[in-house]
Amino acid sequence: MDSTIWAKAHGATTHFPLALALCSAAFDAAGFALARQPIGGDLRAAGYWTMIIGAMGTVPAVLSGLLMTKGTVLGHDALRMHHVYVWPAFALVVALGTWRLFQGRNATRQAFAGYLILAGIAAGLMSAAAYWGGEMMIAR
Amino acid sequence: MKLSRGILSITAAAVVSGSALGSALAFGHWLQEAAARSSHQRPTVDYWLEPVTPTSPGLIAQGRRLFLDSCAHCHGADASGDEGPDLHDLRVSDRYIAHMIVFGEPHQMPSFAKKYGAADITALTSYLRSLESS
Repeated sequence: MDSTIWAKAHGATTHFPLALALCSAAFDAAGFALARQPIGGDLRAAGYWTMIIGAMGTVPAVLSGLLMTKGTVLGHDALRMHHVYVWPAFALVVALGTWRLFQGRNATRQAFAGYLILAGIAAGLMSAAAYWGGEMMIAR
Repeated sequence: MKLSRGILSITAAAVVSGSALGSALAFGHWLQEAAARSSHQRPTVDYWLEPVTPTSPGLIAQGRRLFLDSCAHCHGADASGDEGPDLHDLRVSDRYIAHMIVFGEPHQMPSFAKKYGAADITALTSYLRSLESS
């Protein structure tokens, strides 16, 4: 088997949850701000689906990463920094996706504001993880 | 009703998220064990019984120079592994390390018997020991 298969798989899978989580936070923030306008509902729907699919997309990204590093959950240097952000981001995005799935459109405005703060934190954590992933690529 | 749905959603999010994270970490641990079995990073009896090579900053620096010259190509400049395995936290004896350097491993690692003598192997071992976290 090609020894770089998991590195390639990680590269192929990791960008989807990253992009989707960032877009979801942006769609939801816009939907929250424009809640009284017709487009607000559409933006919330876009935020809903991008978060659900993004949360599902974290699974192949994490599995391929683990297989690529032979199970390293922290590692050293840039890999450690990558993991410091990856694990909380993974847990948070899965939690947010699950909450969204169970809550549907029934969340109160107050609860949704809390969700938006956490989605912003998740987007920041994922961006930081992506930054350190990029640092590793440049180092190679 | 609204409150109970809210509590259900938060509980489900916590359970699913915790399970996903726990499963990922457990899978990582299993993969590490499997990799350690194949790359001899599991503790061996002689690792516990044999005395370790005394080290000094000078010896470690010399070992690092030798490492960068001959080993970094496969094990990575920071010894975190590349084509060859990660050499941090090795759980093998000094004798095993010396044996590996001298004889190599068929189809995986060349022998460095002609290149490095006993003093060089001691320096390399010291450098590898300096990569241990505890």
